[in-house]
Amino acid sequence: MSDCKTCPSVDNCYSAHETVNQMQERLDDMGVDTVFTRYEKQQPQCGFGMQGVCCQLCSHGPCRITPKASKGICGASADTIVARNLVRLTTHGVAAYSHHLEELAKTIKATANGKTPYKIQDEGKLREIAKVAGLDLNKTANELAEQLADVILSDLRKDSGEPLAMLELFAPETRKKVWRELGVIPGGVHSEIRDALTKTMSNINTDPIDLLLTSLRLSIATGYTGLVATVTLQDILLGTPEVTESEADLGIIDPDTVNIVAHGHVPLVATAVLGAIESDEMIKYAKEAGANGIKVYGSMCTGQELMQRKGTTASNYSGQLGNWLSQEHHIATGAIDLVMMDMNCSIPGMKSVADKFHTKLVSVDRILRMEGVKDNVDYDPEKVEEQAKELVKMAVDTYKKRDKGKVQIPGHKSAAVAGFSVESILGALGGSLDPLLDEIKKGNIKGIAAVVGCTNNRNGHDDKGLTIMKEFIKNDVLVIAAGCMSSGAEIEGLMLPSAADQAGDGLKAVCNALGVPPVLNFGSCVDIGRIGAAVTAIAGALGVDPSQLPVVASAPEYLEQKAIADGIFAVSFGLLTHLGPVPPVTGSPLVTKVLTEDIEGLTGGKVLVEEDPVKAVEKMLAHIEKKRQGLGI
Amino acid sequence: MKQIFVDIDKCTGCLTCTLACAAEHSSSKDIVGAMLEKVQPRISVEAVNGKAVPLMCRHCEEPTCVDACMTGAMQKDKETGIVSNENNDQSCIGCWMCIMACPYGAIQPNEEEGIAIKCDKCNGREVPACVESCHTGALLYVDGKTFTQEKLTKTAKALTEAS
Repeated sequence: MSDCKTCPSVDNCYSAHETVNQMQERLDDMGVDTVFTRYEKQQPQCGFGMQGVCCQLCSHGPCRITPKASKGICGASADTIVARNLVRLTTHGVAAYSHHLEELAKTIKATANGKTPYKIQDEGKLREIAKVAGLDLNKTANELAEQLADVILSDLRKDSGEPLAMLELFAPETRKKVWRELGVIPGGVHSEIRDALTKTMSNINTDPIDLLLTSLRLSIATGYTGLVATVTLQDILLGTPEVTESEADLGIIDPDTVNIVAHGHVPLVATAVLGAIESDEMIKYAKEAGANGIKVYGSMCTGQELMQRKGTTASNYSGQLGNWLSQEHHIATGAIDLVMMDMNCSIPGMKSVADKFHTKLVSVDRILRMEGVKDNVDYDPEKVEEQAKELVKMAVDTYKKRDKGKVQIPGHKSAAVAGFSVESILGALGGSLDPLLDEIKKGNIKGIAAVVGCTNNRNGHDDKGLTIMKEFIKNDVLVIAAGCMSSGAEIEGLMLPSAADQAGDGLKAVCNALGVPPVLNFGSCVDIGRIGAAVTAIAGALGVDPSQLPVVASAPEYLEQKAIADGIFAVSFGLLTHLGPVPPVTGSPLVTKVLTEDIEGLTGGKVLVEEDPVKAVEKMLAHIEKKRQGLGI
Repeated sequence: MKQIFVDIDKCTGCLTCTLACAAEHSSSKDIVGAMLEKVQPRISVEAVNGKAVPLMCRHCEEPTCVDACMTGAMQKDKETGIVSNENNDQSCIGCWMCIMACPYGAIQPNEEEGIAIKCDKCNGREVPACVESCHTGALLYVDGKTFTQEKLTKTAKALTEAS
């Protein structure tokens, strides 16, 4: 790790987590490649691609902007190529988010008609949202749920000229004004995706500024559908998070049970499987196979969603194994029988590791297929009860093939508090945000930093993210975490009230008084929508725009396209947004300048690029201080 | 005599030179064909301390690989100065003595064919393929005097700017 100097393992250390390094050593001995070793084999990586100046759209290409060729063959400049590539990345992100939302909306409709094992869990939230949406509150919960799902499906499908209803209902008025002036209020998400992909075909839209505004439109569409709408519907269907305690890291794996890992982003199948493992039939089936029982663990964001709802619909969830970079290492314990893969972030490398053990990989989403994986149980809301049983049986049957001599489970695990949301924070504060705002005004809490997003080997596994969180809390900045960053913080013990000892005196006192950790677990990457809601609520309570708040966002180890959409949304929302590694835009002087400087004059937010985590925090602290001065606090 | 020189600061690690080298030494003479023929490039781009560093044979005046070669396959051509184990009277038998002797690691084994392979400056090509393919100007094909004169001028310029 770049920041480690004294540890004797410094030369073969890839991860901030000891357990992952142990499993890496095991896989090294077995001669199995992982993300870490494949990364090394990919070096040196292409400098043109890293700068975003490679265009592969037409058959004249690939073109690259170089000292001897300042334009592509068609005449496209570096600015055009970079901005166009950025739109394509953002489009991928918004498309994936809309798939998640669509699966959820369809599930709500089927549930409202009594065709699924799920039930509407949070009728209060449903009625609250239905009221804002202007639905007839005299209807039953099921009728309202179906109507709300239709409102959201319509947001996905309507024309690009019809403004998003979710944005109209939930965005602060000050933001709407900014976005209206920029002409970036998005319409139907699928239409926006169509327009963006059409614009970025060869020789249609080559104006870098219009392309950048297109990225903004797409990211705002992501913010109010893929993030806010998804979080809302998931809360209504699966329960709004309540503060709860769970565990994380590989040490939680039970060697004597059938072990299922829920991996991905969409917690629907996983929730049904949590129901199935409680049935007498399944318990008997597992016992007959010689197991002590059946456990479901989480990996990545599906796990985070379950952990958030340990107090509601996932009470029998057994804890979080890790995040994106450690997915191969979970299997390397030899104690995982089945991995259910839903939607994105299932890497093909997992199969190579699974093949060295008995582990079975199964896709549970119609869009996910993996080379070599033959078992696909594609989620169908009306059949999911049976599908869940089928998956558990597969896990038990695979357990029978487990070689107990090959099981090696590292010892470390950590407890972690989870279940934070606007609602649970309001509950803890006695129904009003005022106690929190008072602490911010008094300066005990200097500000709030959302440390979110993926994990990335370019920075060393979780190293940068954890350093940034620790630096923030040391400086009395409350951290709210979501996505893979949450898993890292759980394992590191930062999501325990006792971590307040690592905080500055002001934040420490507040955490001790409330009994909360200095790093609040907001859940999955989709739960960035929950952070958006929290910032909106704080801005509303203070009567200011989000861009005026002492709030920053950091995605210090961003990896994929959904994170690009999230990052640009945070900038559009008015936040200083730290991104690491450096996004592929540096080849364009114009795009780089707009994103890191000029856009602040338009949205109030901008991208901060700083690879050194301590310096990055210093810059974000200066921003927080500037915003405090602006508010006169 | 022209040599392949490297300006390390300009290398972005795009590996285009390795593709061009493979293409030049393939029978199809193109990148896709070379990939299909599995032609090994004779130039390496090493990643060290976050930097990409292209390395290839220096075609030394007193080549240790020629001294080490037991069969006499490795020869330095008196006219062109090219050091090569191909198209000479004797054949390479894959003993890897040259690989051991080369102080730069510029010679590689071709395990499949059992022969050592190395840069041959594209054997008479006006500009070697790697140099021609380099987009950033990190690879140069000039004589030693020109290269060193350019460095002298650059240093002198920096000194005047600093004073």
